[in-house]
Amino acid sequence: MRARVRAGDRRAFEQLFDQYAKDVYNHAWRLTGDWSAAEDVVSLTFLEAWRLRERLDPDGGPLRPWLLGVATNVARNLRRARRRHEDAMARMPRAEPVPDFADELTGRLADQQRLAEVRRAIGRLRKHEQDVLLLCVGAGLDYAEAAEALGIPVGTVRSRLSRARKKLELDLAPRQTQDDRGTAVRSIKESTG
Amino acid sequence: MNLFPEERDLPEGRHRQLKEFVMTSLDDKPRSRPRLRVLAPALGLAAAAAVAFPLVLGGTPAHAVAENPDGTVSITINEAKDPKALEAELRGMGHDIVVDYLPEGKTCATRPRSQNWVPEEQARLAVSPPTSDAGDFQIDLRQIKEGQTGVLEFAVREPQDGSVVAGIWARVSDGPVAPCELVDGDAPLGDPGH
Repeated sequence: MRARVRAGDRRAFEQLFDQYAKDVYNHAWRLTGDWSAAEDVVSLTFLEAWRLRERLDPDGGPLRPWLLGVATNVARNLRRARRRHEDAMARMPRAEPVPDFADELTGRLADQQRLAEVRRAIGRLRKHEQDVLLLCVGAGLDYAEAAEALGIPVGTVRSRLSRARKKLELDLAPRQTQDDRGTAVRSIKESTG
Repeated sequence: MNLFPEERDLPEGRHRQLKEFVMTSLDDKPRSRPRLRVLAPALGLAAAAAVAFPLVLGGTPAHAVAENPDGTVSITINEAKDPKALEAELRGMGHDIVVDYLPEGKTCATRPRSQNWVPEEQARLAVSPPTSDAGDFQIDLRQIKEGQTGVLEFAVREPQDGSVVAGIWARVSDGPVAPCELVDGDAPLGDPGH
């Protein structure tokens, strides 16, 4: 897949979209806190990925870490990414309004509130700590994958995540006690590894 | 409960829509980014104080201000005009601040503009290196305390290839600041020695 995408194989790129659009969508949502913006990030991430495909390292595993790294940059610089792909974005089909099914709407609102609470705490971290935390804890990348996504050494990922986790646990701890809401500030891979 | 809410699928039908959109847009030519060019010392910027950033001409509005989650603000300058509009917007965020754009070959008539600059290590108004997008100027307005005035001076250049490179000088004054009346001159940004 990596070699085919790097070579500009559209069929492979289409498969890449099918395989990872959901991952990018959810990562973008955690980054932006906005479902609509997350859809823009999905589109822009894949357009940027296509533009940057030749810079892909020819050796490596699945492309998910790389895509999430691209998505991280797109979400951080959303205005610039929209401007770069302005012509395409002008044609982007707008989403239909979310159907007013009470359960779904309630679920989305609850998620929004929960995410807003977590994002406020994460927003107090340094930017590079936020990136590592969202990739490792949010998207479940391991240290090496997060390092690949962000283009930084594995040791740096480890230390940033450690700092971020400590700060976040301190920040969220009083609230846990207050409303008995437990929080797992660990990625799935860390918890099970 | 995990830290984040459970993951969701794209809304029904949206995955297909977005995929079609992306696949049919792959051949669109993205707009190229302006070339980042570092100002040469000959341009008269204090090398230790000024940081080079690209400005993009032709965008509207002339500037944009965005608040970052960490409490800093990012300033994007699309067109090097109307610094007072930017100043008004920043003042509207509750801080006393003055903004001036200095074109090439111009300097402020009055130097020093303040008799009492707060040492930079005590009040870092400009965040450098920026923790957000490299194309933005990132400012920490919280460094400006009650009774103080923040000062932003931007050097603006308009080379023929359509890109503009600017340097920023940002300091906090513990007291009044003289207005910047532009006069001919090649002095570096900011007050000498600061």
